[in-house]
Amino acid sequence: MSTSDADNTTLIGQSSRHTPCAVNQNTMLTKDLLRYKIQKGQIHPEFVKPTDRQLLAIAEQLIAVFEASPDIQRATLLESSKHIIDSTPGTPIIKRGLEKLLLDRTEFDTEPNEELIAFRQKLFTETSRLLSQEHFEDYTDYQGKVSQIMADESSTEEVELSAKLYADLPSCQPVLTFNTLSAERLLHRYNAAQVQGLLLHCDTLTLKLADSMTAELRQLFKYLRFNQLLSTIRKERTDGKEIYQITVDGPLNLFYKTKRYGMNLANFFIAVLHQPKWELTAEIQFRNNRRSQLSLDESCGIKPISQQFLAYIPEDIQLFQAMLQNKTDDWQIRPGSQFLPLAGDFYCFPDYQLVHKSGVETAIELFHPWHQGHLIARLKTLADQTDVSLILGVSKELKKNALIAEALESSEYFSQFGFTFRDVPTMRALLPILNSFV
Amino acid sequence: METSLKLDFDKGTLILQDVPEALQPHLPDIRWDERTLTFRAPAYRYRHIVSQLRAHDIPYQDTARQFTVEPFTHQKLLTPYPYQTEAIDAWHANGKRGVVTLPTGAGKTFIAILLIADTQRPTLVHVPTIDLMHQWYTVLTEYFGQEIGRYGGGYHELRDLTVTTYQSAVMHAPYYGNRFGFAIFDECHHLPGEQYQYAAISSIAPFRLGLTATPERVDGKESRLYALVGECCYEAQVQELSGKTLSEYRVVTITVEMEDTERVRYEEARSIYLNFLKQARINMGTPRGWHTFLWKTSQTDEGRDAFKAYLTQKQLSFASTTKQEWVWKLIQRHRGDRILIFTQDNDTAYQIGTRFFLPVLTHQTKPKERNAFLNGFRDGTYSILVTSKVLNEGVDVPEANVAIIVSGSGSVREHVQRLGRILRKREGKQAVLYELISKQTGEHFVNKRRRQHHAYRTK
Repeated sequence: MSTSDADNTTLIGQSSRHTPCAVNQNTMLTKDLLRYKIQKGQIHPEFVKPTDRQLLAIAEQLIAVFEASPDIQRATLLESSKHIIDSTPGTPIIKRGLEKLLLDRTEFDTEPNEELIAFRQKLFTETSRLLSQEHFEDYTDYQGKVSQIMADESSTEEVELSAKLYADLPSCQPVLTFNTLSAERLLHRYNAAQVQGLLLHCDTLTLKLADSMTAELRQLFKYLRFNQLLSTIRKERTDGKEIYQITVDGPLNLFYKTKRYGMNLANFFIAVLHQPKWELTAEIQFRNNRRSQLSLDESCGIKPISQQFLAYIPEDIQLFQAMLQNKTDDWQIRPGSQFLPLAGDFYCFPDYQLVHKSGVETAIELFHPWHQGHLIARLKTLADQTDVSLILGVSKELKKNALIAEALESSEYFSQFGFTFRDVPTMRALLPILNSFV
Repeated sequence: METSLKLDFDKGTLILQDVPEALQPHLPDIRWDERTLTFRAPAYRYRHIVSQLRAHDIPYQDTARQFTVEPFTHQKLLTPYPYQTEAIDAWHANGKRGVVTLPTGAGKTFIAILLIADTQRPTLVHVPTIDLMHQWYTVLTEYFGQEIGRYGGGYHELRDLTVTTYQSAVMHAPYYGNRFGFAIFDECHHLPGEQYQYAAISSIAPFRLGLTATPERVDGKESRLYALVGECCYEAQVQELSGKTLSEYRVVTITVEMEDTERVRYEEARSIYLNFLKQARINMGTPRGWHTFLWKTSQTDEGRDAFKAYLTQKQLSFASTTKQEWVWKLIQRHRGDRILIFTQDNDTAYQIGTRFFLPVLTHQTKPKERNAFLNGFRDGTYSILVTSKVLNEGVDVPEANVAIIVSGSGSVREHVQRLGRILRKREGKQAVLYELISKQTGEHFVNKRRRQHHAYRTK
C-alpha cells in the first residue's frame, strides 16, 4: 500500500458527521494500552510488525466485526471483539489496543431517546406517588402494582418493564458508522499511536530534519501553527550535511516542565511521519516517575497516517494563484518550500515563494490571529537585516492589539515590505511591494 | 521619544517588551524567550508585575488587561450570616484573594455573589462539573438579572459573568485569560491537579477566591492551591454550624450479612484475588499498587482470572441482595422523605434503579433528563433519586433529608460531601445518613478509613 492512501478510508453505515481525517487524528491509546520498555534511561516503544501474518489475520477479524457493526448495539459489538481477543493467540494488550483504535473510528448514535425519556417520566411519577402514599411490606407487592399501572397506561408487560427502563444507556447505543481501513494500515496506525501515547507525557520535543527542502515542510509548519506550538529553528552541520534542528514546545514551557502541550505535540507527530529523514527526541515522564528519553527516527518504519499534500495544491494557493494571474503574468506563486535564514542563527519558514520572470525571488510570511507569537520578534529581526527578501502579510484582526498596531506603525521594514489583509491577501496590497523588487 | 514598557497577553502568558535593565531584578518571574525575542511571565503573575511597576514608578503600556470596572448589582436584598460577613472581611483583609473553607450548605455561593458585587470586575467562575455549571448559571441569573455566560459542556458564551468547567478553562484560558479581573474557583481542592492548575496559571485575574469544604488533598498539593489563589483566609467546621445554619444530622451505620450463596462466591473470589496479590508481590496500599495490579493482571491468564475475581468480590460487597433488601426497608421507613441513594459505581446505581423503578442520575444521563430529575426531586415530583458520584459535589438539593450510602470509596472527601447533600437547613429538618456495610468484607476497613473526618464525630 502506498503512503498516499493514508486517508483512503471508507465510511461504513450511515453518513457521518465527522470527516475521516478528523476521526483518524483523534485516535490515541490510553496509558494502560501502551507497550514500552525502559532501559538505562531510554524508553523503547514496542512496535508490532506490520507484516506479522498472525497479527494481520487478527486485525482483519477485528475489522470485519467492526465493518459489520452498523445498527448493532455497543455491548454486542464489544462482546464480538472480546471473543476475538480472548480466542486468538498473541498478547491481549496489543489486541485491546487495536480494538481501541477501531472504536475511535466508530460513531455511535448518542441522540437522546425521547420516547424512553417520556416513558421514564411517567413511570417515576407513578412510583414516587406510590412510595409516598402506600406502605409495601413486601417488595413484590410494589412490583406487581407498578406493573399493573404501567400495563393499564401503556400496555407494557411486567417482564418488559425492567428491560425497557434504561434501554438507552451507552451499552445499548447502536453503531452509526465505522471508518474502515486495511489490516496493514491498522498496524501502522497502532505503532504511530504507541508513539503518540508516549508524547502525551512529554513537555518538549526536538526534531532533526535532513533532505526535507520540499512541500513536506510546509505541512509540518502548518501542523505546528494549528497546534499552537512555538519553535526554535537552528541549522547545524553533521558529516558535511546541513541539518535543521527544530525544538517544539508551548509558551508556558519557559517556566514549567509541563505536559500541558502533550496533546498538541502528539498531534504534531502526524506531520513528522511525512518527512523523508527525521530524528525525534523527547523526554517522557509518567506522573512522578523518572524521566526517560524517547529517540526515534524514520527507520522505525511507521507509515504516514494522514493525507500527504505533496501533489495537492491547497485551496488558498489556488485562489492566490488565480488572483495573481488575473493581474499579472510576471509573477508565479508556489507554496513555501525552504527555510529562510534570519539574523542570530534563526530561521523562518515562509508560506509562499514568488518568482518573477526575470528570476527575482521573494517570499511571503502571513500572520493570522491564531499565530501572532512570532510577529513582533520578526519585525525586530528584520529591522536590522538587509540581506533578506521577505514580505510580511498581517491579518487586520491582529491590529486590534494596540502593541502589534504600534509595532507595525513604527516598523520601517513593514512600511516597505508589509501589508495587511482581512481574510486573504489582495493583489492591490501585494503587487506594489512585489514590483519594488524588480 | 521615551519608550515605555509594554505588557501584553499571549496564550496564557504575559509578554513584556522594553523592560528597563534596572527593573529586571525586581521582576524575578520574567524570563527572556529566545523563541519570540521578548520577556515572558506566567499570566497569573500579572498582579505582582503591575504592583512592581507601580512601586518603581515605571510607566507602562498595558494591553494585556482586557477588562474594566463593571457595576454589578444584585437584584435582591442580601443579608449574610455573621460567619459569612467574617469570611468576606477576611478575604478583603487578605488582599482580595484567598480560600474560604466552609461546610457544604453553609452558603459559599452566597459569599461569592456578594464578593462579585463588591469587586466589580468581570468574573469567571470555575466549577468541576457541568451540573454545577448550570446551577451557578441559574443562581447568578437570579441574583444579577443579566445575561450569564457558560463555557463548557457544549456552551461557548463569554460574558462579563461567566461560568466554566475546569476542564474547559484549561483548554481555553490561553485565549480569554485576560478578560476577567476576578476568578472564582468552586470546589477549589481540584485546582492543584496536574492539568487543572493551568486554568489559574493562564489567567491574569488579580482578584481570586477559592471555595471548598475540604482543601486537604491526599497528595499534599494544597500549597499549590494557596500559591495560585491565596492563603486560606477563613475556615469554619461543620459542628460549629450544625443546628444553626446547617440541619441537625445523625449517621447510622448498618452492618449487613451476605446471603450464604453470595458469601461463598465472595470468599472464593476474594481468595483468588488475594493469592494473586501475594504471588505477584503487589502491595495495594502503595500509590503504585493499583497500576501494578492492572499491569500484572493483563499479562497472563491467571492474572485475568484474578482481575475478574477482584471485580466479583467487589461487586458482591457493593451490591449484595441483603443490601438491596435494606434499601427497600429504608425506603419504607422514610415514606414521605426526600431520599438520595449513593453507590460507588454506575452498575449498582442502575441495578437499584431498575429493581425499584427509580430515577438514576449518572454522568450518562443526558442534560435534559438530568435537569428534569433534579427539578423533579426538588419540587417533590420524585421523592427518591439514585446516583453514583455526580451528586457528590456542590449540586444543591436542599430538600434531601435522607442519604443512603449503599457503597463508596475510602475517600474522606467523598463521604463528607455526600453528607453535605442533606445538610441544607430547612425548618424542623433532621437529616440522617445511613451507611450499608457488608459484614466481614473489605468494606469494613474502607468505612473505618473514611470515618476519620471530624464531620463523622457527631455530637
